[in-house]
Amino acid sequence: METDLLNKTFVVTGATSGIGQAVAAALAQRGAGIIGTGRSPERCRQAEARLRALRPAGSINYLAADLSVQSEVHRLADEVMETLNARGLAHLDGLVNNAGTFTYWLALTPDGIETQWAVNHLAPFLLTARLLGALQAAPRARVVTVSSDSHYGSHIDWQDPQLRRRYNGLRAYGNTKLANILFTLELNRRLGTQSSVRAFAADPGLVKTDIGLKGTPAVVNWVWKLRRSGGITPEESARGIVFLLTEPSIHDSAEIYWKDGHPKRASRAALDEQAAARLWALSEQMCGMKNEEPAYASA
Amino acid sequence: MLPHEHFSASKSLVAITGATGGLGKAFAVECASRGWDLFLTDLSTDLLATLAAGLRNAYGVNVHTYPCDLTDPAARADLFDQVRALNLMFWALINVAGIDYEGLFTENSVQQIRTIIRLNIEGTLEMTRALLELRAPLAAFRIINVASLAAYWPMPVKATYAASKRFLLDFSLALREEVRAWGATVTVLCPAGMPNTPENIQAIEAQGWLGQITTLDAGRVANETLNAALAGKAVVIPGLANRILSLFGGLAPATLAASLIGSRWKAARQKRGLFQEAPIWQQA
Repeated sequence: METDLLNKTFVVTGATSGIGQAVAAALAQRGAGIIGTGRSPERCRQAEARLRALRPAGSINYLAADLSVQSEVHRLADEVMETLNARGLAHLDGLVNNAGTFTYWLALTPDGIETQWAVNHLAPFLLTARLLGALQAAPRARVVTVSSDSHYGSHIDWQDPQLRRRYNGLRAYGNTKLANILFTLELNRRLGTQSSVRAFAADPGLVKTDIGLKGTPAVVNWVWKLRRSGGITPEESARGIVFLLTEPSIHDSAEIYWKDGHPKRASRAALDEQAAARLWALSEQMCGMKNEEPAYASA
Repeated sequence: MLPHEHFSASKSLVAITGATGGLGKAFAVECASRGWDLFLTDLSTDLLATLAAGLRNAYGVNVHTYPCDLTDPAARADLFDQVRALNLMFWALINVAGIDYEGLFTENSVQQIRTIIRLNIEGTLEMTRALLELRAPLAAFRIINVASLAAYWPMPVKATYAASKRFLLDFSLALREEVRAWGATVTVLCPAGMPNTPENIQAIEAQGWLGQITTLDAGRVANETLNAALAGKAVVIPGLANRILSLFGGLAPATLAASLIGSRWKAARQKRGLFQEAPIWQQA
């Protein structure tokens, strides 16, 4: 039984199935403490049991939260801190912003935000802000946000960043994956080069998951099933994410977009520092952080 | 400068009923993104508070909320008292609140039929009456009433609902002429089904290709409808396929339209396992 991550603790969102569960399992097998999240309390309970079976002595907890609702993201952050407390810990070694969703039709969240924008972009933004103190309390920590090659060809329309007026599910998805990389870019800039916390964006590859099968029309289900048949398994995809969380040698790397242990070129739009700063300000505003203490120290 | 500010002395509001539902929320977000202050009503206090907080954060607008069951005359009176007590003034009203209990007329309970009429017709008319009195002085008052593409034909399986929407269509066009002299306008929106709930999405799916081409997202509908209302247009039918369908409603005899729609809806319901050939009381 591997023990190299025995004293490390990681938060993995969307960890009840697919890539998130594979990442949590791989970390738990190496002895790491896990706080997994999922939307359904029942699926959280089942996933927790599966992970405990892998590592009976491990520190493993699942917390249920609907990341499309900002008050739920806040509650989740509070419960993560309570869970750490209960384990006698005050720090976090890594956060994996993995939870993501795809919606074919426009759907607005209770906060009035387009669902993919809320779940895929704003939830990682807000959760990272809320957990940054705990991450900074660790000797070294990583924030890994799962983006994808869907970001190529996307650009953010600042007149209508959520595409509310001209919605197209795939374009909206690509925009949020672009936002994941811009977020990572600006987070690293704000943290500064000497920071103990580093952020990376991951390309998970084309993975056999159910993301294109949840609440989508029959034709979309069919296309997704066809596409994913050529994909890799969640376990294969998870390797690259675990690498970004745990590999010591990349801590000072300037590369932000990675696949399976290797840096790769993100689109020009994803490396646009002005867009990254603008997205940051917009995200702060949309999360109601404008009039509060800045959650991130400026470099 | 916003169109209404030119006329309005004080900062007045846009009132939206049914504000936390799919289309109502899309209208609320679209108005907020244009910088307009809002008065939102719907049933749930919590959902109203959550939406209002989100809109204040994202767009920096003022948002008033007041939970109200618009089917209840006493609750409506309380709402209007509250609005008067706060001295709120309005330059626009968007009547979105409406309901349908899809099914054969004989499958609906008497209470359900009453609720459709009370919300879709009574609620909309009383809101309109009250807010016309509370319109901001000198503002060009804009009313948007949400009818439905169902207003264009008699619709089996949605008989009461479709007739209530026909009521709103005719009412809106008539009121439009009455208030024209005040510089007020009435715009009536006749959308096809929108993919706002899992049930709606299922219903659209069950209609096959016709469901796909007649379906538009609520965000686009809200944006286009507000532009049309500001331009003083009478009727908005979002989507080309839907405009063609509405023309058909004018050309075909009502009996033929009812029979065609009836067979289509029955087939769609059969597909979803909802269809009952005989009324419930005959099966018992």
